[in-house]
Formats: sequence, structure tokens, C-alpha cells
Amino acid sequence: MAGSSVAKDVGLRALLPLVKGFLFGVVGFLAGSGLVAGVRALMGQDPWKLGPLLVVGYIFGLVGWLLGVGMWDYWVREWFGLSRKEEPSAGWGRFFRFCTDHKVIGVQYLVTFMVVLLLGGLLAVGMRVELMTPGRTIMGPGTYNTLMSLHGILMIAVAVAIIIGGFANFLVPLMIGCEEIAFPRINALSYWLIPPVAVLLLATPLMGGFETGWTAYPPLAVTNPRGELLFLLAFITFGFSSILGGLNFLTTIITLRAPGMTWFRLPIFVWSILAAAMISLTATQFVGFSLLTDVLDRVAGTSFYNSTQGGKPLLFQHLFWFYSHPAVYIMILPAFGIVLEVVSHLARKPLFAYRWVAGSFLGIVGLSFIVWAHHLFTSGMDERLHLPFMVTTELISIPTGMVFLAGLGTLWMGRLQLNTPMLFALGFFFNFLIGGITGIYLADVPTDLHFQDSYFVVSHFHYTIMGGEIFALLAATYYWFPKITGRMFSERLGRLHFWWMFVTYNLTFIPMFWTGLHGMPRRVADYPATLADTNWWVSVFAFLLAASFLVFVWNMVYSWVRGPVASANPWQARTLEWLTSSPPPHGNFPREPEVVGSPYDYGIPGAVHAVVGAAAGASNGE
Amino acid sequence: MSRDLWFPSGMTVVLTIVGEALAVGMGKSLFPIAAAEEATIVDEAFQTLTILAIPVFAVVFTFLVYSVLRFRRRGQALEDGSPIHVHRPLVGAWLLVTTGLAVTVMIFPGATGLAKVRSAANLPPDLVVRVEGMQWGWKVIYPDKGVSTSQELVLPVGRRVKVEVISKDVVHSFWVPAFRVKIDAVPGMVTTVSFTPSRVGSYQEDPGFRVQCAELCGTGHTVMVIPVRVVEQEEFERWLVAQSQRT
Repeated sequence: MAGSSVAKDVGLRALLPLVKGFLFGVVGFLAGSGLVAGVRALMGQDPWKLGPLLVVGYIFGLVGWLLGVGMWDYWVREWFGLSRKEEPSAGWGRFFRFCTDHKVIGVQYLVTFMVVLLLGGLLAVGMRVELMTPGRTIMGPGTYNTLMSLHGILMIAVAVAIIIGGFANFLVPLMIGCEEIAFPRINALSYWLIPPVAVLLLATPLMGGFETGWTAYPPLAVTNPRGELLFLLAFITFGFSSILGGLNFLTTIITLRAPGMTWFRLPIFVWSILAAAMISLTATQFVGFSLLTDVLDRVAGTSFYNSTQGGKPLLFQHLFWFYSHPAVYIMILPAFGIVLEVVSHLARKPLFAYRWVAGSFLGIVGLSFIVWAHHLFTSGMDERLHLPFMVTTELISIPTGMVFLAGLGTLWMGRLQLNTPMLFALGFFFNFLIGGITGIYLADVPTDLHFQDSYFVVSHFHYTIMGGEIFALLAATYYWFPKITGRMFSERLGRLHFWWMFVTYNLTFIPMFWTGLHGMPRRVADYPATLADTNWWVSVFAFLLAASFLVFVWNMVYSWVRGPVASANPWQARTLEWLTSSPPPHGNFPREPEVVGSPYDYGIPGAVHAVVGAAAGASNGE
Repeated sequence: MSRDLWFPSGMTVVLTIVGEALAVGMGKSLFPIAAAEEATIVDEAFQTLTILAIPVFAVVFTFLVYSVLRFRRRGQALEDGSPIHVHRPLVGAWLLVTTGLAVTVMIFPGATGLAKVRSAANLPPDLVVRVEGMQWGWKVIYPDKGVSTSQELVLPVGRRVKVEVISKDVVHSFWVPAFRVKIDAVPGMVTTVSFTPSRVGSYQEDPGFRVQCAELCGTGHTVMVIPVRVVEQEEFERWLVAQSQRT
């Protein structure tokens, strides 16, 4: 890193790369679609067929956007023998441009996806307004489907990317004691692929919406309005970003650990990211393929899934879930890592059964690839697959159970600080317990015959992803807020947020198990009158749940600007990220840290995790 | 130390007993109307899983809450907890119990329930009904009787029915909540589901008597519903005659 001369952006000039990216994107789009129109005209076909124009225009536009936003200046110029421009290493402008600092990218991811999270939540509020009363409440079924589909894909994107893209980017290099991620420019690339995804998704309603949910099952995905095409392109782009992220974290964790950072001295959060990155790198390619074939069926008239021409709609479902089930472990493994990290440091106890947990994470990675067909028990697939997939799915409860033992074992005889991050971590265990137990009802074939595609499923996955992952995300947000922003949040508002959210969350989702059992299918804008009372209450609690986020947003925004300045290590925690200033400087540590012991040796006099240079004199010995 | 173990253990037992009493006591009242023999297999599996789930919930919940109340720091100075890294017998026992539970649910109600569903499906049917899903409605065809309708699914009580499901366009799913049966309608495939209606009933009586599309199929997905009517055999015969005269 060239860091001696600090280039700084001033004023609105800092936003120039965004404008440049946008313009290059438009030029790229016009060039791409013009090319297609030209080629089609030469071949005697209708040049103005929208599908091909959009697809090729988008690919060129995407490249244009990336080059304009910074890939040209900081990367591609080198390929042509030109000198690479120097990146600004300070100033708020960094957050709005192609920047290779992992901490900047982490913040970019975090803030972007927090906004997406709030947007997705707002869509859910819209859905709950419609579902407040039977019959039409405020919107027609087509609008409802688009709203629901958008809520789905936005939240899937948040769940996949916010922890890995946000916290892992910020923290993994700090926690393993290196100064940068393995491929910083690929890292920046994977972030800058996200704005086009957001633009495409938000544009879907302008093109007739899309009504397939995020699952995009053909033939519906082929015959659906044009918004579907934008959604498919967005999802493929997002998948590409996710693959690059997985590659980067695997490489970073394997190759860039500080001297002495052996595998069993890694903080458990790093283990969880390693495990999630393995899935992210490999499984995502399958969903890319399944969506690509959807696009080809739509745009080029191929017949991968057209049964009248030998295609198999069921094949898509297998391909799709071959990614999308492992994907839930991309979401939840980092959440496991976060809550165990938070519980250990805030209970001031060694992480119980640490090695068993690391092993369990890898076990989950392995099992995650052989459970996908439990989404297909009622799909009409070969019935001989039912028993094996039920067995593999239920096996996952064993490594997951180990996470619970580790959590409980760490709390036991600890000295618990019941502050906001700890409360959210404890909330995680409660919610995920319900999410995990109800998962068994869906893994069990006889009960799944009834529950498949019902509100029971809706409630189950919200318990694992929202009650689980999002609670862990909030634990992480409060826990690392001082490290990222250099300021402290309001503990009182934090606790208010927790209790408000925890109570309304459970009141919103518990009744959905009941409506599912009583025959309410998922993804519907209406239901029988017998379910009216329950749905009314669910909606009321959902509105209150949504309102709890106002407290959160206020606390975060206000504290970031006006909060009291945080010390380097406000929790007196032992992992490496706390051994540098808050926020950490460019390059992370004054000197390369040397790791000499476990990060979790609480209660052992004289135990040291790491030493950051003799000159700095910083060590965390007791 | 011993009090720290005995108290939450006792609470776990109490919570489990209360939970089980509630689960068993509420029994069938928790479930929606069950109108097919197969529905009992599903409901029994549900009950078995609930009975097994309650102690799991109880033990984690109790120890979680107990730890929070008992080991929270009350204004003392920051100090470390006991340096317990692992307790091998506990890890071993935990693995043994979780594995035991997982294997149990795989066998019972998993494999045994599946076998029951399968053996019921393999018996020869008394009546074959063809159901076509399309955007957005259901067409019911009684191939042997030359009757078809898009208005309702009428079935005789106590007769084994095999439904052959096809789709005219996109993927749909045939779900009758009162029967607890569900199978997708997939273009280019014939999927089947078998069941025996066990009681007379209609949609007016309980909305569980309906064919509900359970796989998102586009704008009209929500309203892709037709009522189900289970009637006595004689009434079914009369209905068939009336229908065939109409067409």
C-alpha cells in the first residue's frame, strides 16, 4: 500500500466516480443493445426484440459501469502499460468509490445492505397491510406477488451478503492479523457489482413486475412479465459477486494469517466465515447455471425447462436448491460465529468445546450439499429420494446441536455482561431453537406433505433467518459498532430496541405456525375467513416489529455522528481487532501482530492471545 | 455448584411435564379438521415430533434463562469466569443424545410414517380422478364416468381415491388441507396422490375442504381454489348421473 502521501477527496468531486460509472454504464448499454440490434438486422430478424437487447445491453452496461466507477483507473490501466491511479486513503469520498481498503468495503456493504434490509422490511409491512383482512385490502394480487417476490429476493440478498460482505470484510483481516484481504481489487469488484443488482430489482415493477418469488421456477419464470428478466439478471450478478467474495475469504484465511495464528487459534467467527466461503464459492455456481438457463429459455427460446420440447421443469428445482439450500448455511454459519464470539467475550469465559464447534461448522458444510431435495418432497420427484433426504436433513441437527452446547457451556459459570450485543446473542439462541425444532417437522416427510409451501414454512425460515441470523447481525452491529465507527451507541436505546423487537418478533411469527397448520399457503394475498383474526393480530405485531427498527436506526445514525468516543477495546475482549485503535488505521496494525495463544483464555492468569509489536507495547495480558 | 445443576435440571423436568401435559391434553384440538385416513398419519407424526421436541426446548430454554439470571454480573468489577475449555463427558453425552434423537425421528415418525403413507398409496384405488391444474383453476375429470367439472371436487366417503395430477401450463400444487395431501402439478408429468376420505363434509362447513394451489403460479395463484365435497356413495352416484346428463 502506498500510504505516505495522503490523497484526499474534497467536496462533491468525491462523487465523480459514481457519475462516471453511470455514464459509462449507459454508453455500454447502448453499445451492447445496438450491437444485438445490428447483428439481428443483418441476419434478417426483428432487430427490436426486447429480450436480447436487454440481456446483451445489460452485460455491456455492467462492464461500462464497473470500468467507470473505478476498475479502469485502479486496475485495468495496468493491463495497457499505463500507471495505476492512486487511491485516496482518507476522507468520506472513499465510501462512494472503488476502494480496495477492506474496512471501507466492509462499511460499504454494511450500510448498503442495512438500507436494503429496511426497504425489504417496508415491503413486508405492505404485505401485512394487504393480509390484515380477508379479501382485497389495498392491492391486487399481481401487485402483491411483485411485492412479495421483491421482499423475498431483497432479504435473501441481505441474508447472504450483509455479514460476509460487511462484518467479515471489516473483521477477518483484523482478526487474523493481516493488513488487507488477499485480492483487494476483486473485493472492491464484488461490492460494486451490487448497485446494478439493486437498480435492476427496483426497476422490475416498471416492467410489469415479477411474480415467481425469488425461486424463479420455470415455466412460470419464462412466461412471466418482463420484470422477471431483470430479476434473473440481478440474481445472476449477485451470485457472481458472492462467488468472488467466497474465493477472497478462503484465500485470505488460508494464506494471510499472522505468524502464530494456527488453525485452532482462529477466532470462531473466522472459522464460520471460512465454512460459509466454501459454500459461497462452490454452490453459487449452480444457481448461476439454473438462472442462466431460465434466461435462455425466456430470451433465446431454448427448451431446458419446456416440457413440450423435452425440457424438464423439475430439473430446475433440483439445480436451484442444490445452491439454495447450502445458501441458508452461507447465511447462518456466520451468525453462529458471531453469537459464539459475542457470548464468549461478554461472558468472559473460554468458548466451550471450541474445536468441536469448528468441526461442526465443517460438518455442516459437508451435509449442506446433500440435503437439497427436502424442498421437493411434494414436487413429484422420484419417491425413492424421500427417505435418504429426510435422513441427511435430520443429521444436520447434530452439528447444529453442538453450537447450542457451546453457547450454553460458555454462559455457564460466566460473568455475563447483559448489554445490548449479549441480549441479541441470547435472543438468537431462543429464536433459533424454535427455528431448528420446527425444521424437523419440515424434514419429516409425513408432516411435510401437509406443511410444504404453507405458512408453517414461512414462520420456520423467518425463525432461522430473521430470528436467527438478523438477531446475530444486530448483536454484531452493536458489538463492533465502537470498532467500526470509533464511537459508542446508546446502551439504553439498544436495550429498548432488543426488548421491543424480541417480543414483537415472537408475537408476529409464532401465530404463523398455526395458520400454516390450518391450511394457509404461503405467497397468497388472501385466505379463508376462519384465519382472519389471527392474520389481523399478526399484521398488528408486524407493524410494531417494523417500528422497533426506528429505534435502531436512530441509535446508529445519532451515535455515529454524536456518540461518545469509544476506546480501542471497550469490551476488554481478547481478539486481535481490539488491539488496534477504533477505527483501525489504514493497514490495521502499527506492526505485524504475533499470535502466541488462544483468543479465548479468559480466567487463565497471564494468558496472552497476541502481541502487536514490541514498540507499540500493546498486549492483552491480564 | 450442585445447586446450580439441580435447580435448572428440576425446572427442565417441570417444564417438560407441563409441556407434555399440554401437548397431549390439547391433542386433536390443535389440528384442523381431518377428513382422510391419511390425515391421521400426518397428525400422529406431528404429535410424536412435538412430544420429542418439548424436552429439547425445555432443557435449552431452562439452562439459557438460568445462566442469564444466575451468572449475570451485578455491578461487580470486570472479572473472568472459570477457565473451562471443554468437558469431554458432557460433549460425549450431548452428542450421544442429539444423535439418538436424530436417529429416533428418522425412524419414528419418519421412516415408519413414510411406510404408512406409501403402503396406503400402493393399494388399488376404488376411484381414479384426473385433476388438471391451469392458470388459474382446476379441472376435475372422472375418466371412467365421462364426467368433468371445474366447479368442485366431489368424492365418495370411505373409498380409496387416486388422483392423477397434471398441469396445462406452469407448476401448480394440489393441496387439500383437510386430507393433508399435497402433490405438485408439473408440466410434462403425471403425479399421483392417493387417499381415502373418512368423513362427509364440504367447504361451507370447513375451509379445509378445498383444493388449494400451493405452488406460486402467477397473478391468480391466490384464487386458484375449488371447494371439495365429500358425500355418501349413493349421493356421489346421483351427482355423477346429474353431471353426465348436464353435459
